[in-house]
Amino acid sequence: MSVTFPSGAFFQALAAAMAGAHDRFRGLGFFDATIGIRVLLDDDGGAERLFVLVFEVFECTRAEEVPDFTRLHVDFVLEGKTSVWREMFENIRRNGGADVAHSINTLTHFGEQLTLRYDDPDGHDKLYRFAESVQQFFDLAATLDGVTYEGAARLAAPAA
Amino acid sequence: MSYLSTKDFLADKDFVDRWQYTLRSGELDLSWMRAATEQVECKPQNARRGLTFRDLDVPGYGYSTMPELARANRSFAPRGAEIPEGCPDLQAEVNRKSEVWAYNVESYYEEAMSRQWNATTDVPWAELVKAELPDDIARAYSQLLTFLTEVEMIATDVPAKWMGRLNADFFEVKNFIATQVMDEARHAEVFRKRALTTGYGLMKASPQNELNLKFLRDADSFSEASTTLHLQAEGMILTLFRFSEYISPTEGDKKLFRLVMQDEARHVGYGMQHLKWVLDHFPEKREIIHKHLDEAENFVFGGAYAVEVMEPFIILSGKGMKKAQIEQGCKITAAFQVKQVEEYFERLEKCGLPERKERSQLYKALELGQAQLAAMGVRTH
Ligand SMILES: [Fe+2]
Ligand SMILES: [Fe+2]
Repeated sequence: MSVTFPSGAFFQALAAAMAGAHDRFRGLGFFDATIGIRVLLDDDGGAERLFVLVFEVFECTRAEEVPDFTRLHVDFVLEGKTSVWREMFENIRRNGGADVAHSINTLTHFGEQLTLRYDDPDGHDKLYRFAESVQQFFDLAATLDGVTYEGAARLAAPAA
Repeated sequence: MSYLSTKDFLADKDFVDRWQYTLRSGELDLSWMRAATEQVECKPQNARRGLTFRDLDVPGYGYSTMPELARANRSFAPRGAEIPEGCPDLQAEVNRKSEVWAYNVESYYEEAMSRQWNATTDVPWAELVKAELPDDIARAYSQLLTFLTEVEMIATDVPAKWMGRLNADFFEVKNFIATQVMDEARHAEVFRKRALTTGYGLMKASPQNELNLKFLRDADSFSEASTTLHLQAEGMILTLFRFSEYISPTEGDKKLFRLVMQDEARHVGYGMQHLKWVLDHFPEKREIIHKHLDEAENFVFGGAYAVEVMEPFIILSGKGMKKAQIEQGCKITAAFQVKQVEEYFERLEKCGLPERKERSQLYKALELGQAQLAAMGVRTH
C-alpha cells in the first residue's frame, strides 16, 4: 500500500519496517534518541508539518505528527523543504539506500539542504553517535510499497 | 621481574600441609562464605536492553553512593567485595572520583558495548577496492588517511595509559575507557586498511601533529588529558569525520566515516559529561583546565592548519586540482575550519566554561576565520 509523504503514516511505515529488520538494527546497537522532523511546505510560505521519532533500545517506539516540539525533549531537529525530503527519499528508493550526495550527514553538514537544529550540543552529537542507525532508518524508505508526495515540486526525476 | 612475592610458597611447609590436608580430609575452612558484603539480586529494569550497569547501582555495590575519595580500596578488590588484610596497595594514581567521573558514564559504556563493529567485515571492502579514484583525489585521500591513522594511534595510547592508573573502584570509567581503547584501535585499523586499498598506500607523517599528539599523551592529570583528548581533539576530529563523510568519494567510504563518527561522538560525549562533572564537583580544577587549554589550543592551531593536513581537504572538497576546483576547495575548507572551532566553543560553553572565549587565542583565530569567510562570500549557517 502506498503512503504519502509528509504524513504520520509515512513515518509509521518506516517504524514498522524497522521492526521487521530487528536483527539488522540489533546488530547496530542501542539507539536512544528523540528526533524532530520539520517539513517546510514548498508551496505555502511559512507552513510546516512536524513529526517526532522516538528511538529506544533497537526500536522506533513513536512516530507521529505533532503540533509542536514543546515538552518532547527532542535531541535535534532535521529541517528542510518538502522538495529536499522528496529528492532524498526518491534517491533512496532508486538506489536501495542514499547515494553519496543524499546521506543525512551530507545533506545537513553545511546546512545547505537540510538544516540540523538543536539547543544542546550533546543532543546535536546524538546524530553522530547513532549516525549509521539514523541513515539505515531513512534507507528503509526503499522497502516501502510506494510513496506519493504532497506539497512538493520534484527536484529530481524520475519519481520512485 | 620487578615484583617478588614475600613468600616462596612451595618452600612454606604450613601452606603445603594445609593444601594437602584439605584435599585429603575434605575439611573445609569456609571463612569466605561469611564475607561481610551485601546480598543482592539485581534485575534488568528493561528486559529489551538486558542487565546494565545502572541495574547494578544498588547499596553496597553502586556508584551513586561512592565517596569522593576512594580511601578504602587500594587493591584490585571489586567494589562491594570485602577487602581482607593483606591485599596489596596498588598505588593507583587517581583516587578522587571527580577526577574521572562523568554524568551517565554507565550508559556510555553500555552504548559502546552494543555499538561495536568490525573493520574487517562491516566495511564494503570488495566495493571499495573496485572504486577508481582520479590520481590527485586518491593521493589527497591517502594523505588524509595517513593523518587519521597517526591520530588514532595516539587516541588508543592515551586512554590505555590511564586505565591502570585509576583506582579499581572507578570500575565503570575504567570499562568505558577500555571500550575507547578498542574503538581507537579499530579506527587506526580501518584508516590504515583504507589507505592500503587506494592504490597509493600511506603518504607522509605530520611532525606538527605529532607534537600535538605528544602533548595530549603527556598531560599531568586525567582531567587535563580528558579535556584535551575527549573534548577538544576528538570534538574537532568528530567535525572532521562529518566533513570527511561529506567529501567522501564513494558510498563505502561514507559508511566507513559514519561508523567511526559514532564511536568518536561517544568519546566526545564522555568528555563533555566528565568536564561538567569536574566543574560541578572539583571547581578548583577550573583554572588548571584553562591553563592546559591555553597550550592545547596553540598546538591545535599549528597542527590542524599544517599544509599536509589542510591541503588534502582543499583538493578533496574541491574535487580536484584545477584552479576553480582549488578555489572552491578553499572556500569549503575554510567553512569547515570555522565550523570545527565554533562547535568546540559551543561544547565548552555547554560544559560550563563559557568564559573560555574571552581568554582563548583560538577564539581570536576563529574571529579571523569568520571574517575571512565573509570576505570570500561563504555562508556558514
Ligand atoms: Fe578515533
Ligand atoms: Fe575517539
